[in-house]
Amino acid sequence: MRLLVIEDEDRLSGILKSKLGEIGFTVDIAGSAEDAGIALELINYDAAVLDLGLPDGDGLAVLTAARRAGKALPILILTARDAVEDRVAGLNAGADDYLTKPFAMTELVARIKALLRRPGGVLGMTLEAGNVRLDTVGRELTIGGMPVRLSRRELAIIEQMMRRFGRIVPKSVLEEKLYGIDEEPDSNPIPVHIHHLRRQLDAAGAHLMIHTIRGVGYILAETKA
Amino acid sequence: MSRRIRSLQLRLTVELAALFLVASCLAVGGLIYSASVTAGSLADRELGLRAEDLAGYVSLDENQRPRLELPPPLKQAYSAAAQQSVFAIRDKDGHLVEASTSEIGAMIARWPQADSEPRYFRLIKFGPLEQDYSGVSIRLDSTAGPLSVLVAEVSGGNQLVHSILREFVFDIAWYVPPFVAVALLLAAYSVRRSLLPLRAASARASAIGPGSIALRLPEADVPTEALPLVVAVNHALGRLEQGFLIQRRFTANAAHELRTPLTIITARLDTLEGNGQLLALREEVARMNRLVEQLLCVARLDSVTLDASSPVDLHQLAEEVVGSMAHLALSASRSIALTGADHPVLVTGNAAAIADALRNLIENALAHTPPESEVVVEVGPEGTISVQDSGPGISAEDRPHIFERFWRGKGVRANGAGLGLAIVMEIVRAHGASITVSDGTPRGARFDLLFRTA
Repeated sequence: MRLLVIEDEDRLSGILKSKLGEIGFTVDIAGSAEDAGIALELINYDAAVLDLGLPDGDGLAVLTAARRAGKALPILILTARDAVEDRVAGLNAGADDYLTKPFAMTELVARIKALLRRPGGVLGMTLEAGNVRLDTVGRELTIGGMPVRLSRRELAIIEQMMRRFGRIVPKSVLEEKLYGIDEEPDSNPIPVHIHHLRRQLDAAGAHLMIHTIRGVGYILAETKA
Repeated sequence: MSRRIRSLQLRLTVELAALFLVASCLAVGGLIYSASVTAGSLADRELGLRAEDLAGYVSLDENQRPRLELPPPLKQAYSAAAQQSVFAIRDKDGHLVEASTSEIGAMIARWPQADSEPRYFRLIKFGPLEQDYSGVSIRLDSTAGPLSVLVAEVSGGNQLVHSILREFVFDIAWYVPPFVAVALLLAAYSVRRSLLPLRAASARASAIGPGSIALRLPEADVPTEALPLVVAVNHALGRLEQGFLIQRRFTANAAHELRTPLTIITARLDTLEGNGQLLALREEVARMNRLVEQLLCVARLDSVTLDASSPVDLHQLAEEVVGSMAHLALSASRSIALTGADHPVLVTGNAAAIADALRNLIENALAHTPPESEVVVEVGPEGTISVQDSGPGISAEDRPHIFERFWRGKGVRANGAGLGLAIVMEIVRAHGASITVSDGTPRGARFDLLFRTA
């Protein structure tokens, strides 16, 4: 898998290259908007990491140019926390995700993997979190290698949570995802499904835990050792 | 004078009043002078006529000696006012013909013969009454030959002067006090009016603070006399603003420059495998990151005027902020919840800034609430957001200080830089919103933000 990192700070791009290389990505570095434009045109990257603050131009321009040229690759933007407007503009301009600087390397890796796992992404259709694996095409969940039977709704819920592992999954997103699945006319409310899911995860010895954030949604996280 | 009286209005009034007083005195004095001059010449003429009158009644007697033969009514008049109206007549040889009193007779004997030109004189404290007299002595021709006639009258008979003055006071002078009063009022009013722009400038000046250093005093309408001061103050403000901006830019630049190396350190630390020391180091770097973020936030709030005029859905905003901070709470073994309104709550403001404020309040609450307890964020339909923890709460004596920059409570772990609540306060101020601190129920601290509803 080939990634383009568009970052003008040599030391930072060096670290990114070595870390992402370690986990199996081939990384090219573009240090300017111009280089980035050329690289994106010549090579079909699987994903790109774009720093919005570039010396020779706005990173947003690179983004819009790529989208206009029909490039559909997932692009993750790096922004400063104080440039909220940039963040919003970036997402509007077609970025797939953003990270604020400074970021944890593990977070960046997780985000890139999540982008690549999206429908149409190159990482295939298997989601992994802790000792839990979900084949999103075969709709099969295994915990510690053992298959676990879940209803379609519960599978949909755990899929959303695994796609956003460690991050909040708002109730509204879950409601939206479940809306299309109306096998049961009077379906249980989401908390009931969550309750059931928790029991299943627990019973199968998953190293995962679903936390409820009252009034907002749920977070799937690894059980603390 | 200027040292004692600082009010222009009062000073002008006092000075004008003094001027009017002096002018009035001069006018009255001049009037008295000219009235007495008139009265004097009238009296002189009367004395001269009386002398001629007396001379007309002198004739030669059988011994060929001059003798005064007054008709009875005149004689009676002179003797009735014997001490007020005195006269003496001498013949050409200097012999006394007649004197109304012996004192005047004795006195005239010592005088030289009169001339045909009238000679006016004054007698001071004369006679038994010790009064002042004014009189005339003149040589007149009569049937008994040339005579020296002296006529004198008690002076101070200035009734005429009094009557002129009385007339002046009643006919003319009455309008002086109202005129003076109107003039003074006019002066005071005009001063007040021309100083109005200065009051406007003062009001503007009191609005100038660290957050509004671009403001200048209005120079339009300022009286030309005060304009140099206003202009000079504006120039001084301009120079101060320059210095201020350099200072601010320095903070922002310093924080900004610190961010790149910090990102690199963070990334490098992440790639290291290690023990507890590495964890401690990571925590320390995370704190430093947080501090740099806050410094940047402060610098930004100081330097950019916040556009707080867009509609913001507090419920959606709180949902996003609470959601984005949930993992932080969980990793610190605390939990967080959003309660209250379950529908859009629209207020007027700046979504990013309000989110910043809420984030800081939540961070603060998470730092103070004990492990396994919950931080509760509540959105009210009236445009309120509250954040409540279950920590030790904030003592009444600390409450006035918690919003100061770099202030940290006593005995509190040196966890933050003391900027979080100061940032919240800046944002609240920029929104014209309010923030209150109270005790949580059943314990802990509670912050309530109230925004203007859209």
